[in-house]
Amino acid sequence: MATVARPRTAAELSPRPNVASANQQLPGVIDYEQVDRDIGGILTPTAGWFGALAIAIALFLWGAGTWTYQIYWGLGNAGYNPPVMWGVYIISFVFWIGIGHAGTLISAILYLFRAGFRTTIYRCAEAMTVFAVMTAGLFPIIHIGRPWKFFWLIAYPNWRLIWPNFKSPLIWDVFAISTYLTVSATFLYVGLVPDIAVLRDRATNPLKKRILAVMSLGWRNSEKEWRHFARMYLFLAAFSTPLVLSVHSVVSFDFAMAINPGWHTTIFPPYFVAGAIFSGLGMVFTIIIPIRKFFRLQHYVTINHLDAAAKLCLTTSMIVGCAYLVEFWIAWYSGNQFEQMYFWNRVFGQWWWAAWIMITCNMIFPLSLFSQKLRRNPAWLFILSIFINLGMWFERFVIIVPTLSHEFEPWQWSSYVPSWVDISILIGSFGWFFMWFLLFIKQLPVIAIAEVKEIVLPRLRAPHPHEDAIDVTGQHQTYEPDTPGEFA
Amino acid sequence: MGIVAAFHELDATVDAIEDLKSQKITDFTVYTPTPRHEIEDAVNPPPSPVRRFTLIGGFCGACFGYWIAIWTSDYWPLVVGGKAVASWIPYTIIGFELMVLVGSLSTVAGMFINSRIPKITLTVGFDPRFTSGHFGIWIPSAADSARVIEDTLRKHGAEEVRRED
Repeated sequence: MATVARPRTAAELSPRPNVASANQQLPGVIDYEQVDRDIGGILTPTAGWFGALAIAIALFLWGAGTWTYQIYWGLGNAGYNPPVMWGVYIISFVFWIGIGHAGTLISAILYLFRAGFRTTIYRCAEAMTVFAVMTAGLFPIIHIGRPWKFFWLIAYPNWRLIWPNFKSPLIWDVFAISTYLTVSATFLYVGLVPDIAVLRDRATNPLKKRILAVMSLGWRNSEKEWRHFARMYLFLAAFSTPLVLSVHSVVSFDFAMAINPGWHTTIFPPYFVAGAIFSGLGMVFTIIIPIRKFFRLQHYVTINHLDAAAKLCLTTSMIVGCAYLVEFWIAWYSGNQFEQMYFWNRVFGQWWWAAWIMITCNMIFPLSLFSQKLRRNPAWLFILSIFINLGMWFERFVIIVPTLSHEFEPWQWSSYVPSWVDISILIGSFGWFFMWFLLFIKQLPVIAIAEVKEIVLPRLRAPHPHEDAIDVTGQHQTYEPDTPGEFA
Repeated sequence: MGIVAAFHELDATVDAIEDLKSQKITDFTVYTPTPRHEIEDAVNPPPSPVRRFTLIGGFCGACFGYWIAIWTSDYWPLVVGGKAVASWIPYTIIGFELMVLVGSLSTVAGMFINSRIPKITLTVGFDPRFTSGHFGIWIPSAADSARVIEDTLRKHGAEEVRRED
């Protein structure tokens, strides 16, 4: 029997703002010169920026002062009591390393996948990575009792030719994180070089022009330079992709290599990586949404871009939620009573409040992103991102503290309360992170000028064959610009 | 001495490149505000050799990572937990990280070497407009052929054509 198609209603036939995935085109950007003007124009400092920077520096100084106090009076002020000797510092270390992961995901992995929506947000995310890893790297140093001996972790022989133990997860951490910081910083800088050349050639202040000339390395936008640049960028992305997966896997080995209940599990590496990307996406929203609003960059970071990033955030949230549930299943299936006891204690015992903050913020609230209306609402995305940041910090709290406070022997069971020193240094770390970030966004382009130009229609002598194909939403429907990064 | 031309349109630039090549003029430099496939197709350059730097750097980094971990273990051969003195599985982490580190840095070095940067001196034939919205072509040429080249560039819509020494 033949089927007859139901006539479509007017609502179904009308164009929807969100088609399948984010539209990478920027209808509000007319030509290359506008890109230079718009992005270069936001580099002028404003009173609001000075105010934000002053707050960030004040928080940083508060944290730095507290650290000085801790060095003078000893690590005992940090609220540690046996057996809980890892607390806020290691939690924050894992938290900040995780924040960095979304930057590499957006700049490298999405680059390899040709995801167009990354173009306008990746520079922010990359800078966030570098500053987050710089912040994370401080915490192991703060955590050790004699921070001036931190260089013992570096692999070099002492006078008796004794090297570090390469079988130790802590040494793997040193290698993974220092590699990650170096490669991320390199990735950020080389990506900036063509944009610095744009600023150099537009600068009017002779001193600034000279500094930018040195930083741009004499870049001239020649076809030869672009060809080698594109090839280099591709390989850096290809290296960064397994690197980002390895770094948080190695961080998870800090825990999984121990035999403690809740830690000794093979799910940790993928669980940590997914959580890291999820938390980083949360921080990307926290940063990019105010930048977009206060710098009036809505025609660059469009709602479609936020929508696509929100879908990615929802996906990673569900992976993380699945990992939370699988952990319980592993504990039950293992038949190990210590493991089972630990997980019962996690959600119904001593640490129920922390676990439920984690579950609510990371599993339940992000489900709101199934709603297209909420995915396209920057205010909701910003609020949600704050919850995600909170939830992911508590995820690391739930991983670390309940295990240490509830090991095998009941006489060992204890509790943990962070002291004002821990909290101050945690707050100071946010000051340190935002201080660098705020300095960055007023010195260098926060949106990649050259890559944005790749998706702007080039000026043509002849009329463009598809230039009249613009639908009611202002989107170019049939013209397919080159995917960023496909050059060479 | 040479001629520099500034174009505002992509298709005009591509036409000029193709016309120059049809006149057997292949020694020129094209400037473009952003990488464009159209220009790449017109210039038709050889593949970038940067990939060789990546391969060699990555291989050397991995070898060094394994070597340093194995050598130091054998230098003080202490058996810990009944495990092999030189355990290649955990040492894969060191090998991998150094492969990425050295491979990445050598890739960047490859780009620098092949692009001839950092460049300290001013470049003849470059115009600051080429980092904004203009495409450019620089053709080193002798005085006798300059007129023909200038006519070719103007014919295809160059906004400005000038000689530089």
